[in-house]
Amino acid sequence: MSQSCSNNTNSFNTNVIFAAADERSNILAWLSPLNPRLRHQDVQDRRVKDVGEWLLQTEEFRSWQAGSRGGESDNAVLFCYGDPGVGKTFIR
Amino acid sequence: MQVLTSCGVSSLVIDRLCDQARSRGVAVACFYFDFAAQKELSSASMLGALLKQVVSGLEEMPEEIAQAYEEHRMVIDGRGPQLADILKMLQTTSSRKRTFICIDALDECVARYRVKLLDSLSQVLRRSPGTRVFVTGRPHIRFEVAKRLSGIMTVRITPRRPDIISYLQTRLGEDTTPEAMDSSLKADILKKIPESISEM
Repeated sequence: MSQSCSNNTNSFNTNVIFAAADERSNILAWLSPLNPRLRHQDVQDRRVKDVGEWLLQTEEFRSWQAGSRGGESDNAVLFCYGDPGVGKTFIR
Repeated sequence: MQVLTSCGVSSLVIDRLCDQARSRGVAVACFYFDFAAQKELSSASMLGALLKQVVSGLEEMPEEIAQAYEEHRMVIDGRGPQLADILKMLQTTSSRKRTFICIDALDECVARYRVKLLDSLSQVLRRSPGTRVFVTGRPHIRFEVAKRLSGIMTVRITPRRPDIISYLQTRLGEDTTPEAMDSSLKADILKKIPESISEM
């Protein structure tokens, strides 16, 4: 008897957790049907190791990432542009 | 094959930010634009996709978002959230947690959506100046980005010598018939190709 009682309590708790997780994923799906993380994983898989690492060492990237925490002169936006003629170099 | 692509750079930056996100307690959200998929997009769904990533990193669902969802459920045939609602939610969440937003290939976004997106990002930055925005794109949108977002820094992305060498080494390592190439040919490739590219 006490056994079945505790089982019920457990399944009740589990249901509450599942319901909360369901609610969470419903809300996330409602915010947007898109999943940019999938594209990210795809690009990540095709990336060649170490290529482009220099960008992370530039002064621009470092100060952008660190930020100066507020203030007008804060470098909040980093724009990286590729010249189609050079950035899109093909090697066959 | 391309040595260095805009999406490659974006994914590198996103990975670096994500690696440090947990220890630094920051949120990272990304969006990759693509000419081929632009028809399915609306400004609301792409900004919503950014918000969704920020929210999924939070332990608890913010009250105002749960509430907005409940209100939407009360309406028969309730639609997705509108751009203004998403913007408000994104402003609130990003002001609570330092947020990095990365947008790849912005030039591949439809022009009228691009304006809305940049203006929305500008409003997010105004509300929470600690937010960081990373954007890649072709050079012609540089002025548009600078006009709509203040505090912009620019870096030109072009393959550098170490990029070309890493790239060649990886590709040579994947060679399915390595016996066809002797070590002097391999050394020649690693020497001559980077030289010819730096002359471009």
